Order: sequence, then structure tokens, then C-alpha cells
Amino acid sequence: MLDVEDVTVRFGEKTALDRVSLTIGTEEIVGLLGPSGSGKSTLLRVIAGLEPPQAGKVSFDGVDLAATPVYERRFGLMFQSYALFPHMTVAANVGFGLRMQQLSDEQVEARVGEALAWVDLGDLAIRKVDQLSGGEQQRVALARTLAPWPRLVMLDEPVGSLDRQLRKRLVGDIGRLLKEQRTSGIYVTHDHEEAAAISDRVAVMRDGRVVQIAPYPELIAHPADSWVASFVGV
Amino acid sequence: MNRRFWPALTIGLPTVFIGYLFLYPLGRILWISLSGVGFVEVFESARFRQAAWFTLWQAIVSTALTLIAALPLTWAISRFSFRGREAIRALVTVPFALPTVVVGAAFFALGGQGIAAILAAHVFFNLAVVVRTVGGVWSRIDPRVDEAAAILGASPLRRFRAITLPLLTPALLSASAIVFLFCFTSFGTVLILGGSRLRTLEVEIYQQAVNFLDLGTAGALAVIQLATVVVALMISARLQSRATAFTVSSESDLPPPRARQKAAVAAVVVATLAALAAPLIVLVTRSFGQGGSGWSALIADEGVNAVRTLPAIRNSLVFAAVTAVIAVVIGGLAAAALARRRQGAAWFDTILMLPLGTSAVTIGFGFLVALDRPIDLRGTLLLVPLAHAVVAIPFVVRVTLPLMRSIRRDLREAAAVLGASPARVWREIDLPIVARALAVGAGFAAIISLGEFGATSFIARPSSATVPTVIFQLLGRPGSASFASAMALSVVLAGLTALIILTVDRLRAGTTGTF
Repeated sequence: MLDVEDVTVRFGEKTALDRVSLTIGTEEIVGLLGPSGSGKSTLLRVIAGLEPPQAGKVSFDGVDLAATPVYERRFGLMFQSYALFPHMTVAANVGFGLRMQQLSDEQVEARVGEALAWVDLGDLAIRKVDQLSGGEQQRVALARTLAPWPRLVMLDEPVGSLDRQLRKRLVGDIGRLLKEQRTSGIYVTHDHEEAAAISDRVAVMRDGRVVQIAPYPELIAHPADSWVASFVGV
Repeated sequence: MNRRFWPALTIGLPTVFIGYLFLYPLGRILWISLSGVGFVEVFESARFRQAAWFTLWQAIVSTALTLIAALPLTWAISRFSFRGREAIRALVTVPFALPTVVVGAAFFALGGQGIAAILAAHVFFNLAVVVRTVGGVWSRIDPRVDEAAAILGASPLRRFRAITLPLLTPALLSASAIVFLFCFTSFGTVLILGGSRLRTLEVEIYQQAVNFLDLGTAGALAVIQLATVVVALMISARLQSRATAFTVSSESDLPPPRARQKAAVAAVVVATLAALAAPLIVLVTRSFGQGGSGWSALIADEGVNAVRTLPAIRNSLVFAAVTAVIAVVIGGLAAAALARRRQGAAWFDTILMLPLGTSAVTIGFGFLVALDRPIDLRGTLLLVPLAHAVVAIPFVVRVTLPLMRSIRRDLREAAAVLGASPARVWREIDLPIVARALAVGAGFAAIISLGEFGATSFIARPSSATVPTVIFQLLGRPGSASFASAMALSVVLAGLTALIILTVDRLRAGTTGTF
């Protein structure tokens, strides 16, 4: 279980996160919804350990993570830009996190095969990632994020840069995969239909604050204020 | 690995290295200069005035002559497209990469000692700086700007003065500043070609320290020289920041030369290349001396006038390899730190670049007076490659940094989230991507080490003599056998340098991929 308590991040004058609190239960998927610049990505970076908060605390299963560096948190983060390693093959990208866990070559290979099968990329294992289409890159990034059994998966607008048709299909795939893997997850998007399709609860962010957290139907039925109402299009 | 350890290593090791091998010796020099005869006495001495005056005027004249000599060729290869244009650009760069001792030896063979030889050698050496810096901008000036001015009624001369010259001014200033700096701190060339009368400050430091054993005066001279260079750099930075750099188009489609221009372009190219080739051809022909004496003595390794040549070649090769390793490790770590940090990056960068603005003679002199503590490094064979590494590290940093900076931050973050510690991130992400750049850096370091003369002349002992120091020794001995051997060794050194340049060039061609 992830527990974010009163986290504040400032970049100079600008407050990117203003006393944000958020809890994510075991195997729960929370959608993080908000316009660009509302602090969604910053929140993910704080949870991942890439951005130290000025105040507040992040803990997982009751353990404060302040002293745990990024690379020891065992969280998954799928970057909006995918951040695939350009000098590695598809298989090496997907296996990267597994190799960091000191698994044997056979174990890595087996798990990579599994992960590539989830996203239907089995035949592309030995391709260089720069030879892939946008949709294929997205799936490699997803497989790379999920392969090392992360304790929590964070997806930062994972389908944001793809065309509409593809997006719809992939959102369905991601939802199915997350359920199958039984991980907790945070799904960042600015599209409320995506959030609705994938999450158990939706957190709405505005100007660095979480203004409402509720299951999507409740959000529609009882928006906290007029801004939330107009943002989710009620 | 501890997570504080890696940042500490990437910043700490280069800082300690530069601190102990550069800043501390510099501090010792300052200390010695203050406890020596005193600056006033140095300023008032006739020797100092002669050397200072000569240093200044020969640098100004050399710079002016280099500009004059380089501009026709710059015009030819940056205003027209013709076959072999790229090859010419590459050929012009060859003299710049040659060791100063080789250039000195070549002009010694061509016309003996004297001011004319010094000026000619400086022009020969620095031509590429002007051709490359100014040509890079000139070839990007849209030809239509010139045509527009012509239609508006400007004559060719008028167009050059009103359009081309203002656009080229920033490049001309920066090229002049670089050439001036090189000539101002010229050492090997002047030591060989200057005879006993013509001395730059650089040569005077060497004479005072090595021949007269007057460390106080040498220290004062080094401090004066360093201060002058710093002031000159500041003035040139000021001038260049005031001269607006114009955004020019990407290299436009250059026209082929037309009938009358064709003759002019051909004449300029042939004349310049012939002038550049002459000293090198003389070098090769004189190396054969009377009946192949230079080469046979070299191979027989019996020693020419008690100077042995084969051990020097072996030393040079070993030192070049060791220098490359040290410079790539330290420079690579430093570049890794610079590529990541924003806070404090400026001062760290400045410290790393300081040796670039310091003459090699000062670095060698500093080694001589400082490195007896905490252990006496001066007797060890490591001393020479360490000095070469101090000279080479700024170049390695400059070569590798752009590529390291080009690695997107999210790649490193993605690796960290997937469980890679900072050291592991460096090994898995940075290193494979920059491996080629590091190889290029290693090549640069090896070239610098092979040709390095200023620092080496201070610290090399007979057992650690390098090819440049032996060439210098041989040129100072009487007899045609010594002379021919010096020429032969120069040819060997030039050949080795060219070999590394070609290898590096091929590696560089492969670094264009963007990550």
C-alpha cells in the first residue's frame, strides 16, 4: 500500500505540489486526472524517488521511503517519452530491470519472453528500438515497466502520443494487463474517458492539489466543485 | 555501491587530480616567485624586456600574417563548391595537428634559424584555425544576400566591406584571439628557430629555470605570463561578446566557380597547398641526409652523438598510451559529472579548463618545483604521462561532454527506476553511448602526448626522454648525422600522429547518431 502524506514540491517560486495526500491500496488502480501543469508528473516523480519533496512523506507498506534511493524502491515508471535505451535491443530493454535484480540469464530470458508475449512483440525481440513504430515502442516501454515485478506501477500518459484508434485499444490492453499482474498502479492522463476505463478510483488534480478522489461514477454524480464538473464534462 | 559515492567520485577524483597536479604546482610557482628576486627586478631587467617585447610583437605579426595567408583559401573553399573541397579542408588541418617540434625542425631544415622562420612556422601551424573558424561562418552566408546588395548597386569591393566583412567579424575576432594566444605562448618552435637571441617569455622561463637554475626569476616570469594570458582571454571574450554573432543559414548550396573565378580558386588552392607541403617535403628529403644516414642510424640504434633514438620512440609510445588511459578516466568522469550537474557546474568546468589557458612550460615547471611532496614523484616514470594528462584532460572533456549531454535525462531516470544504481546507470547507459567519444578523446590525448614538448622538456630525464625532446637535442648537436636523424625522427613522429588522426577521424564519422 502506498501512502503519500502532505507532499509539497516547489520549483523556485512555483509550487508544483501543494500538500498532496493520496493512498493507493493493494491491487488498486488510481487514475490521476488533470490538465497539463497540474502536477501529475511531478507527483509520480516524487513517488518514484526522482524528485525529493520539500515537505511531506511517501511510504510503502508502512515503511518511510525518504532514505530509499530510486533504484531500491522497486517501483515501475513508464515515461511519457518511453525513454527506451537507444543502444539496446527490444529484449535488452525489457530485461534491463531483471538484470538489475541479479537474476540468472535463463531467468531473465524466460521473463522477457513472457513480457513480450503480453504485448504481442515476441518476434521483435532482437530489433533495435529505433526501428520500431510509435505503437510498438509504447508496448516495449510497457513490457519493460511490468517485467521486473514492480510493487507499484506508474504510467505517465502512456498512450498520449498515439492516434485515437490505437489509444483505445491499448488502454484496454493496459487495464487487462494490470489486473492480470495484480499490481497497484497510478495511471496519469488528461483524458477522463481513459481514466474512467482503467481506474478503480480517480484523483482529480488542479494547480498542484488533489481536489477530489472518488470512483469515476461518483465523480460524475457528485463533482466537488464547478471546476471539477466542467473538467470531467458534466 | 553507496549512493553518495558515485557523485563524489566523478567530481572528487578530477578535482583532486587537477588540484594536486595543476593548482598546487601553480601555487608553488607563485610562492617561489614571491620569495625570489622580486617582480620589480624582473620587470627592470633587459632580458625580460627583450623577451616580453619580442613575445608581443611576434604574436601580433604572426596573427596578422596568418589572417592574410589564410583568407584567400578560406574564400575559395567556403564560397564555391568543387571537387576535392572537403579533402583540401582536411589537408589544411594536418599542420595544426603536427607536434611543434616537428614544425620547428621542418622550418629549420627549410631556412635555418631566425625571425622569418619563426613567423613562417607560426603561419604554417595556425592557418587551419582561420580557415576552419572563418570558413565555417563564411560558407553559411546566403549568396542571395550578396546578390541583393549587387542589385542595389554595390560594387564587389563595397559588398565585401558592407556585407561580408561585418558578418565575418565575430569569426575573425575569435580566430585571431586563438592564433594570438598560440603564438604568444609559442615555445618549441621558438626554442628551435630562435637561436640564442630570439626568446618568447615561454622560452625565457625555460632558460632561467633549466640553464641558469634561477627558479625565482622563472617563477616570476611564469606568473607574469599567466596573468597576461588571463587578461588577454578576458579582453577577447569581451570583444567577442560585443560583436554580434549573426544567425546565418545552414551551409547553402554553393555555386561552382565560374570561368574567371575558376582560375583564381585554382591558383589560391595550389599556392596554399604547395606552401604547406614544402616544409614537410624538405623534412622527408633531408631525413635521408647523405646516403640514408638519418634512417640507418635510427634503425641501428647505436646512438647519434650519444643520443639514443629507439628508447625515445618506445618511451613516446608507452607515455602516449598511459596518458590516453589517465586522461580518458579522469576526463570521462569529469564530463559525466558536468553532464549531470547544474549546481556548481560552472566552477567545476572552470577548474577543468584552467590547464588549457596555461602554457605547457608552466605546467612542467610546476611539476619540477612541487611534486616532491608527499612522495617524490619526480624520479618516477609516471611523471611525464601525468603532465601530458593534465594538458590533455580539457580536450577529452570537451570532446566527450556534448555527447554525454545529448543523453536524455529520462534514459538515466528510467534506468534508475528499474533498479540501476548511479554507477550502474553510468556503466549501462552513459558508457555504451559515449564509448566512441571516449575513444576519440583517447586519440586526442595520445596525439597531445606524442607531440608534447613544453612540459616534457622540463621533466624528462635521460631515461624518460621522448621523441620531441630527442629531436630537440639532436638539432642542437653539430654534424650532418645528428641533423638527418632529427629529420628522420620528425618524420616518424609526424607519421604516428597522422596515423592516430586518421583512426580518430573514422571514429568521429560514426558519432553523428543522436541519442
